[in-house]
Amino acid sequence: MLKINNLSAKVGDNEILNGLNLEVKPGELHAIMGPNGSGKSTLAAVLAGRESYEVTSGSVNLDGVDLLDLEPSDRAREGVFLAFQYPVEIPGVSNMNFMKAAINGKRSHKGLEPIKAKEFLAKVKECSSLVELDGRLRDRSVNEGFSGGEKKRNEIFQMAMLEPKLAILDETDSGLDIDALQVVSKGVNAMRSSDRSFIVITHYQRLLEHIIPDFVHVLSNGKIVKSGGKELALELEEKGYDWLKEPSHDTSNA
Amino acid sequence: MSVFTDKFSATLTPPTRKSERWKYSPIAKLLNNEISISTEAAQGINGWPESILPNPVLNLDAYLVVFKNGIFEPTLSDLPVSDGVDCIPFSKMEQSRSIGFSNVYHKKEWIGELNETYRQDGLSLNVHRNVKVDRPIIIHHLTDGINIANFPKHFIRVEEGGELDIVVWSSASDHSSGMYNGLLEASLGPNATLSLEKVCNEGGKVFHFSHEHIVQERDSKLKMHTFTIKGDWVRNELEIISRGKATDSVFNGAYLPLGTEHVDNHTTMDHTSSDGTSSELYRGIMYGNSTGVFNGKVFVRPDAQKTNAFQQNTNIVADRGASINTKPELEIYADDVKCAHGCTVGQFDLDALFYLKSRGIDEKAAKALLVEAFLADVLSSVSCTELSDEIMRLYRERHGW
Repeated sequence: MLKINNLSAKVGDNEILNGLNLEVKPGELHAIMGPNGSGKSTLAAVLAGRESYEVTSGSVNLDGVDLLDLEPSDRAREGVFLAFQYPVEIPGVSNMNFMKAAINGKRSHKGLEPIKAKEFLAKVKECSSLVELDGRLRDRSVNEGFSGGEKKRNEIFQMAMLEPKLAILDETDSGLDIDALQVVSKGVNAMRSSDRSFIVITHYQRLLEHIIPDFVHVLSNGKIVKSGGKELALELEEKGYDWLKEPSHDTSNA
Repeated sequence: MSVFTDKFSATLTPPTRKSERWKYSPIAKLLNNEISISTEAAQGINGWPESILPNPVLNLDAYLVVFKNGIFEPTLSDLPVSDGVDCIPFSKMEQSRSIGFSNVYHKKEWIGELNETYRQDGLSLNVHRNVKVDRPIIIHHLTDGINIANFPKHFIRVEEGGELDIVVWSSASDHSSGMYNGLLEASLGPNATLSLEKVCNEGGKVFHFSHEHIVQERDSKLKMHTFTIKGDWVRNELEIISRGKATDSVFNGAYLPLGTEHVDNHTTMDHTSSDGTSSELYRGIMYGNSTGVFNGKVFVRPDAQKTNAFQQNTNIVADRGASINTKPELEIYADDVKCAHGCTVGQFDLDALFYLKSRGIDEKAAKALLVEAFLADVLSSVSCTELSDEIMRLYRERHGW
C-alpha cells in the first residue's frame, strides 16, 4: 500500500529526514517512536504535504500514486489522512461546513455527486458517537475554544468521516488524560480494518497499550534505526532511546 | 465642457497628497478627465442597460427610487405611498418647500463644493413620528456612459420613534467612466431607528465619492453597512454625530478589491453626549495590485461620559502587489469612558489553509471558506437576509468561489 523509499527532507537548511525507508501493507498499524527531534512529526508533515518542508530525495508511493507530486488536498483525496498534533482553530468555519466541503471534495474527485443532506447527517451522528463528540462541539467553529482532548477527539471524528486508506496519527496522545486517551483509542481501533493502514507516531509507549501495533519502528536522526514487533515499545519504555541513537550529524533542533 | 472648469469657480482647491486626509487617495487622475453632466431627460426602461436590473436586490420586496446618471427615472421607480412617509425627489417638489440640510461639507471639502455647485437631484424622505416604513427603500444610482458626472444629494429625516430601512446602491455599466459624487444627510429623532446599507457595485472606470453625514438624537439607533463589491476607485466617507444621550451606532463594512482597484473608507464617530455606544467593524481583503485606505476617527467629547466605543479594522493582504494603509484615530476628552480599537494587517492563516487542504478541500475552496468566515461577522450583522445573501452572491460570483 505505502512505500517510502530513501526519503530525505529539510526545513530551511536543516536536514531532518535522512534516507528513510518504510513499507506499510494494507491493514497494518505501524508505530513510529523516537526521541524529540528525531523527525517523527516531519515524516507526518511530509506525507501530508506541508509546504514548509522540502523533499530533497526519495519517493512516497501510495497504491501506485506518487504522493510527493500531489497537492495536500489531492493526497487527502487519494486517501491520506493526518491527525494533527496541534489541530488548528478556524473561527467562523463551522465543523459541519468543513466536513461537508471535505467529503464533497473527495466525492468530486471520484466523480460522485455531493453527499445528500440526510446521508451526511447520519454519518455525522455515527462518527461523532464513536468518539463521544457531542452536538455542541459539532456545531461550533472548527476547534475554536475546544480543550486539548476535544481537539484530538475531533481529529478522530474527522478521520471516521473521511474513511482514509492511510491514517497518520501525529502524537495524538499528547495532552490527553487517561479517559480521553481511551476514547480516542477506542475510535481508532473501531476504524481498523483489513484495507486501512495506520502510522501512529508517538513518544510514549502508553498509547500502544490501547492501540496495539503490528510493527514498531524507532526513528533517530531522520531514519529508522530499529524495527520490531509490539514488544519493542516495551523495551524502549524500559531502556529509553539512548542505546539506539546514531551519532548525530547536524540536526541539533530538528 | 468639464465640470472642473465650466462655471465652477471653486473657493476650495482640489485635495493633494499633502493633505493627510487624501494622502493615500490621490485624485490627480480624476482631474485629467473631461467629465460632464448628462443633459438627457429620463429615458425609462429603453435607456436602461440590460446587464443591470433596476432593482439590484431582486429578491427584496422594496420601494425603488432609481436615478440614471443623476437623473430621476419615474417609470422605473416605485415610491412609497404609505401614510406617514413623505418621499419625493427634489425635482418633483414644490418650490416653496425648504430642505433642511445642515451639513457644511461643501464649505470644507472641494468634493463637497463640487456637489453643491452641480447638484442634480436627490430624495427628500421624511418618516413621521412613530411610523415604521413597511418595506425597505432602495435608492439605485446607475452610471451609464463615458465621462459622466453624477451629483446627487439625499436628505433623510426619521422623526421620533420612526423606523426606516434604506439601501443606497450604486451601479455602473462596464463601458462607463466618470464620477459619482453623492452626498447623503440623515437625521434621527429621539428613539428613531435607521438602517442604512450602502453598496457600491460599479463596473467601468468611475471615481466614486460618497459622503454620509448622520446626526443622532437621544436614544436613536443607527445600523449601517458599507460594502464595496466592485469599483475602480472608491472613497466612502462617513460621519456620525451623536448629539443626544444613549445613542447606539453600529457601522460595519467590507471591501475585497481586485486588480488595480482602490478603496478608501474614512469614518468619523463623534460622541458629544453621554451614555452612547458605538461599534465599528471594517474588514478587507486586498487582492492583486489593489490599494486601500482605512481611517477611523472616534471623538469622545468632554460631555460624553459613559461612552462605550469599539472600533476594529482587520485586513488580509492576499497578494504581493496589494497594500492597505490603515489608521485608527481616537481623541478622548472624557474620563469615564470605555474605548477599544485595533487595526491589523495580515495574511491568510497558512496553518488553517493547510489544515483545510489536508482534509481534501482544494486551495480555492479552502480560501473561500476562510474568506466567508472572515466576512461572516460583517455580513451577519445585516438584518435583511435577502440583502446579505445577494451581497455574498455578488462577492462569490466576482471572486469565483
